[in-house]
Amino acid sequence: MDAPGELDLLHPRTSGRQLDVHRVWKAYAPGTYVVRDVTFTLHPGEFLTLLGPSGSGKTSTLMMVAGFEQPTEGEIRVDGKDVVDLPPERRNFGVVFQGYALFPHMSVLENVEFSLRMRRVRGATRHLRAMEMLDRVGLAGFAARRPRELSGGQQQRVALARALVFEPDALLLDEPLGALDRRLREQLQTEIKEIQRRVGISVLFVTHDQDEAMTMSDRIAVMRDGEIVQIGSPPEIYLHPGTAFVASFLGETNLLPVTLAGVENGQAVVRFHGDVLGRARLPRGATPPAPGDAGLVSLRPERIRFLETTQLAEQVTDGVLTGHTFLGRHARSVVRSLGQSLVVSSTDVVPTSQTAPGAKVRLGWNFDDAQLLAGGSAADGSERQDRTSKGGA
Amino acid sequence: MGRAERSGANTLFFASMPILAFLLLPSLIIIPMALTKGQLIQFPPQGLSLHSFADYLSDPQWVHSTVLSFQVSAFAVVLGCVAGSAAAIGLHGRHFRGKGVVTGALLVPIIIPLVVLALGEYLLFARLRMVGSWVAIGLVHSVLVTPYVFISVQTSLTAGLNPALVRSARSLGAHWPNVLRHIYWPAIRPGVLSGAVLGFAVSFDEVVVAFFLQGPGTVTLPVRMFTAIQFELTPKIAASASLFILLATLSLVAQGLLAFRRGVR
Repeated sequence: MDAPGELDLLHPRTSGRQLDVHRVWKAYAPGTYVVRDVTFTLHPGEFLTLLGPSGSGKTSTLMMVAGFEQPTEGEIRVDGKDVVDLPPERRNFGVVFQGYALFPHMSVLENVEFSLRMRRVRGATRHLRAMEMLDRVGLAGFAARRPRELSGGQQQRVALARALVFEPDALLLDEPLGALDRRLREQLQTEIKEIQRRVGISVLFVTHDQDEAMTMSDRIAVMRDGEIVQIGSPPEIYLHPGTAFVASFLGETNLLPVTLAGVENGQAVVRFHGDVLGRARLPRGATPPAPGDAGLVSLRPERIRFLETTQLAEQVTDGVLTGHTFLGRHARSVVRSLGQSLVVSSTDVVPTSQTAPGAKVRLGWNFDDAQLLAGGSAADGSERQDRTSKGGA
Repeated sequence: MGRAERSGANTLFFASMPILAFLLLPSLIIIPMALTKGQLIQFPPQGLSLHSFADYLSDPQWVHSTVLSFQVSAFAVVLGCVAGSAAAIGLHGRHFRGKGVVTGALLVPIIIPLVVLALGEYLLFARLRMVGSWVAIGLVHSVLVTPYVFISVQTSLTAGLNPALVRSARSLGAHWPNVLRHIYWPAIRPGVLSGAVLGFAVSFDEVVVAFFLQGPGTVTLPVRMFTAIQFELTPKIAASASLFILLATLSLVAQGLLAFRRGVR
């Protein structure tokens, strides 16, 4: 038998079952859908995050999985079995709520034992399992305390232990770190991830915080207006956003209006402002736009480099520096080029001749760093762009 | 400033003393009146004796009325606690159109004139041939008790129960009887207790409904006192009234202790 609390990095266990959310719709009032046709699969052992601004339907989706809300349409399956008609107490998910919702009148041990008591696990076994789980989260010495006598981080670990002790099919976390300050959040993020890896359980996580989603998730489903707009691994979503919304919701980006000239070698040939020719990655999984269409290209600030006069790059453009801020880890410059303001983030020390406003600079990037966006209608794009440039000012 | 404040406090003290006396003395005067040696209820009492208490406790009619009153009130409080708590729990954390109407309907028994309620219930129970049954009086009293329990349980729910606790318990596998027992009950217990004490007081000295619905064998203590004061003027009235004062004092002390314990914890 393993010693409880021991960490086996080489053989991480996976527990949990496959959760399928299939074509789920939710309307609280007839005709006004807060969740629209949401489909995703949570694989055993996977950490999947629903990321989106408030009102994007992420919490409603989680609540439907937990059983507190009833889908208007669609199926929620655990290992292929539809659980839509089961009330929350008959589903088998461990839920951690914002603020943890620990039972204030029970001790830490009683909190953790609660689910086992409800399942009529007998006294000695119940005690043993609860203590084992408390030991796993490093709180065995706190069993007799009341929740309010614990720090925020310890309360979270109790909430996790309570949600894990009955070996649920998956863990559902509803913005558990929502109300905490930044430092504690970061510490608890690693802690959740750590415990998840140790237990090997699948996690469905809901947050509006993109950093949180990036650090913790195996996959991220970005939601907007009740729909999943893109789903994929953090690098995939960050480097190859499908839409202007995803591009600007995850981190900062430059959105450049282009006209499509054609497709060559699997890359899009585009015309930037002023008929400057260039190339960009085609959007994945979406129908490629037709030549002559207007579109948007997303270009991350950290992918743009300042070029010395002799240096070359796949894509080169001249510009005039209009602003420069030194931020410690990196410097943030704003350059007037291609008819708009481009934000450039560089970790290299920029020569002082290039940091004075009005300085002429050359910028360069690789074709693959420019991502052509799908469905980037001009209106949508300009709205996003406004927000980005406002953030940059 | 300190002096001005103190003199202000003094003025307030002397101004409020007569009001306090006016409120309390008529009640307290009952006790010496109960201790009279004479056979009539009068003030000042003649001599000092416990005979009116002995008379009261040895008169089967008065004893019967006292027992009946306890019985009716206990019945009303139990029903009222169940109904009031159920209503408060049912409405807690829920938002729907017409919630205000439901809440209003629950509070109507406090607002509606007692005579109107009594008359209506009299007509209803006359048709059901239940006038003169203690159950009928208890049922109507439970209607009066319900809003008090409802209000105090509602208060303790809004103050002490995060709706996420209920969801939490359900996600951990608790079916509703367990949610009720492990989540709601600890949160509403103080509210139920104080609502019960208040409700008991309301029911125990309620005259109007009890008067309308009385029968030969169902004369509650307040109704017996009211009848006696018109025809007998016996000091038993004062003796039984002392019982009321004792009960009221006890329940106040009990509530005080409860609040104190809650404060300490």
